[in-house]
Amino acid sequence: MNEWQPKITTFLCNWCSYGAADLAGVSRFQYPPYFRIIRVPCSARISPKFILAALRHGADGVWISGCHPGDCHYLEGNYYARRKFAMLKGLLEHIGIEPGRLNFSWISSAEATKFAETAKIVADEIKALGPAKHFIKKRAEVA
Amino acid sequence: MTDKVINKKDWAGVLKGIRNFYRVFVPAREGDFHNFRALEDETMPNFDFFNTRLSPKSVVYPQSERMFECLNDPENPEKGILKEAAKDYTPQAVIGIRPCDAQAFQIVKRNFDNPEYRDPWWVKRFESTVLVGLGCNSPCPTCFCTSVGGGPFQEECLDAILYDLGDRYLVKGLTEKGKEFSSKLQGGAPADEKAGKEAKALVSAASEKIKAKVPIDKLGGKAVTALFNAPFWDEVAFSCINCGTCTFLCPTCWCFDIQDEVCGKQVDRIRNWDTCMSPLFTLEGSGHNPRDKKFQRVRQRFMHKLKYYPDKFKNGIQCSGCGRCVRYCPVNIDIRTVAGLMNEYKEK
Amino acid sequence: MMAEYTEKIRETAKRLLKDGKVDIFIGYRKGSVPMMNEPVSVSDPEKTGLLHWDSNCGLNLCNYLTKRTDRIGILANGCISRNIVTHIIENQIKREQLYIVGVPCTGMIDPKMIRRAVKFKEIHAVEEKDGRFIVKGDGFEETFEKNEFLQKNCATCLHRNPVIYDELIGEKVPEQEGIEPFRDVKKIEAMESDDKWGFFTRMISSCIRCYACRNACPLCYCATCFVDEAQPQWLGKSSDPTDTMTFHILRAFHCAGRCTDCGACERACPMGINLRQFTKKLNKDALELFSWEAGLKEDQRPPMDVYKTDDNNDFIR
Repeated sequence: MNEWQPKITTFLCNWCSYGAADLAGVSRFQYPPYFRIIRVPCSARISPKFILAALRHGADGVWISGCHPGDCHYLEGNYYARRKFAMLKGLLEHIGIEPGRLNFSWISSAEATKFAETAKIVADEIKALGPAKHFIKKRAEVA
Repeated sequence: MTDKVINKKDWAGVLKGIRNFYRVFVPAREGDFHNFRALEDETMPNFDFFNTRLSPKSVVYPQSERMFECLNDPENPEKGILKEAAKDYTPQAVIGIRPCDAQAFQIVKRNFDNPEYRDPWWVKRFESTVLVGLGCNSPCPTCFCTSVGGGPFQEECLDAILYDLGDRYLVKGLTEKGKEFSSKLQGGAPADEKAGKEAKALVSAASEKIKAKVPIDKLGGKAVTALFNAPFWDEVAFSCINCGTCTFLCPTCWCFDIQDEVCGKQVDRIRNWDTCMSPLFTLEGSGHNPRDKKFQRVRQRFMHKLKYYPDKFKNGIQCSGCGRCVRYCPVNIDIRTVAGLMNEYKEK
Repeated sequence: MMAEYTEKIRETAKRLLKDGKVDIFIGYRKGSVPMMNEPVSVSDPEKTGLLHWDSNCGLNLCNYLTKRTDRIGILANGCISRNIVTHIIENQIKREQLYIVGVPCTGMIDPKMIRRAVKFKEIHAVEEKDGRFIVKGDGFEETFEKNEFLQKNCATCLHRNPVIYDELIGEKVPEQEGIEPFRDVKKIEAMESDDKWGFFTRMISSCIRCYACRNACPLCYCATCFVDEAQPQWLGKSSDPTDTMTFHILRAFHCAGRCTDCGACERACPMGINLRQFTKKLNKDALELFSWEAGLKEDQRPPMDVYKTDDNNDFIR
C-alpha cells in the first residue's frame, strides 16, 4: 500500500470522548485507522505545547475532542479549553498552518456514532490537504 | 608586489572570480542593516556600511554547530558511537571585515588556541580563513577601537587590507595568506603612488574622527576583590533585562552551551552560543545557582571583559571597541561608562 | 509637551522620596546614544536630576516591578499603566506598593524609521522640540515631524492616557480617533496559507534567539521559561528555523489576552523583527471573540482566565 496515510494525533478526554471512541470500537463502527489517540483527563489539559509538539513530530493533523459544554466531568474545564482553542487556532492559522489541520469536537461518551463520523470527516479533510508541509522538526539545520 | 588597485565598477566581477579559490563572505544588505553572507550567485554584495549588525565571528564560530553525531538505531552496529561531524574546511575569505572585528579574532584566539586548551573546530576554521579588512573611512561616534589597542586602519590582525579610495579599492597583502589572496585577485592594476598617498590621508582623517576615549589604564592595578565588591554594580545592573543581545553581537564573546538533540534515529551533539546574561548560565546540576541575581550576572560580564581577561592573558581587555553592545543594548547600558566607573573606582 | 514633563517628573520624584512615600522611584535617564533612554531607579532625593522623559522612552518600565517588595514610585504612560494593571491582576505586584505618576503620552518615535529617513547616515544627536525632531549627523541636519515617525504601536494607540495613577504629570491628551489598529493583521489574514507561512518564516529568519523580546516584555516573568523546560523539552536551543518559529508562536500565545501592544519587544529586538505580528493577531481575536482589551480595569479577569457559557463555538464540530 503505497498511498500516503495521514498521521493524526488525537487527544480525547477520558470521560466523554475517549468513552465514545471505546464504544465505537466495541460496537465495531468502522472509521479510518489514521488516529494516534492520547487519553487526557480533560480537554482543558491540552496545552498549546502539546499541539505544537504533535505538529513538530510530523503529525499531518491534530484532533482534540472533549465533553459537551456544560457536561464537563470537572464542571468547567471545557469552557476554558474552548477559549484557549479558539485563540490557538486563530494564531496557528494566521502563521500559515492550513485550516483543517487543527480540529476540535465535543463528543459525549454515548456518541459512538458521532465519533466514527467525525473521524471520517477529519480524515477526509486532512487527506485532502496532503502531508504536513510546515513546522516539522527535522535534524537541526546548523553548521 | 601583490598590492593592487581595483576599480569599483570591476569589483563585482573580481569578487566572482575569487570565488574559484575561496568560499567568499561579503557584507550584504538585510533589511535595515548589513550582515556577512556567503557570496552566492544571487547575493548582492554591499560595501556601503559602517559595520555589520552581527559580527563576522559566525564565519569562524557559527551560532549553532554540530560537534558530534551518532545513531540511535538498534539495528545499526554503530549505534551509540559518537563520531565527529564532518566539516568543510575549504579556504574561506572574509572580505570587508573591519579591523576591530579582526582584532576580536585575536582576542578570542588567546582563549581558544593556547598550550593549555585548543578548540579544534574554531582553530581549524580560523586557520582556513583569510581576513581581508576594509579600513574605516568614517568611524562612528560609538567606536572606541583606539582606546583598546586598535585603530580604524589597523593592519596587525588582518591578512590583507582594502582602502576605499572613492572610485577604487587599494588592496594590500599583509601576511602570507593575504598576499596569496591578493595575487589570486584577477583584474586591477598594480598599486601606484597616488593610491598610497590617498590611503595615508584616509588613515589620519579616520583616527582623528574617533572621539570616544575609554579609560582602561588603571584597571590592571586594581584588586579584583575591590572591583568585585564595588557599590556601583546595583546601579549599573538595574536596567539590564538579561537578554543575550550584547553577548551575541559581541565579536569577542565566546561562551557556548552543548546540547544533544535526538531526531528520529539521529542524535546530534550541538553547541550553541550561550549568554552569561541568562539566569540559567550558571545553574548547576545540584540546583544551586551562584549567579542567580541580576547584578551578579551584569557584574560578571564587565569583570570578565575588563578585568579577568586582561589579568589572565596580559594582553589588553576582551573588547575591540566595535560599539555594537553600545548601539544595540535595548536598555542602553554603555560599556564605555562602566569602564570609566571601574577605572576610576577607589576602594574606601 | 513630552519634553516639558522632565522638570515635573524630577520635582515629583524628589518630593515622593523626601516625604518617604516611596523607597525608590523608577523612571528613565537620558541615554548615551541618540534616541535611547535607560530605565533607572533613584532612591536618593538629591539624585532625581537624573530623571528624563522624552519621545524615546520606549522600554516598558513595568518590567522592573515584578516581585519587588519595596514601595515604588513609577512613571506610567498609557501602556505602562495597563501593564501595571495586568501585573496587579496577576499578583506580580501589589497596588498598595505603588505610587503611580501618570504621564499622558503622545507616543514614542521609532529610531528605525528615522535611520531609514536619513538613509542610514550616522546620527550624532537627536533633539526634540515642539513635536519636531532635529536629527544631526556627519555633515547633515534634518527635521522631522514626530507624528510621521511614531513607533508602530504608538501610531495605532487608543490608550495614550494612563488608566491607573495616583497623580498626573500633566493634562490628559486627547485619544486618537479614526484608528484602524488591525489593518496589517487583516492584510495577512487575507493571504493564502502558504503565503502566510512564507511571510512569517521570512520575518523570523534573522532571529538570533537572544530573547531580548521575551526579556523586555513585562508579561514574561516566569521563573522557568518554557524555553528552558526539559523533560520534556519543547524546542531546541539552536538557531534551527523550526525551533525559532516554535519559540515565537508559544511566546506570543503565552501573552494571549494579556498583551497591551507596548512595543517593547519590537524596540528591543536587535534584528528589527516585526514581532508584534504574532501578538496583534491574538489581540484582535481577544477583542472580537471576547470583547477584551488588556489592562484596563483592575477588577476584570483576563479572557483566558474566565469563560462564558455562550462563547463562540463555531469552530467546534
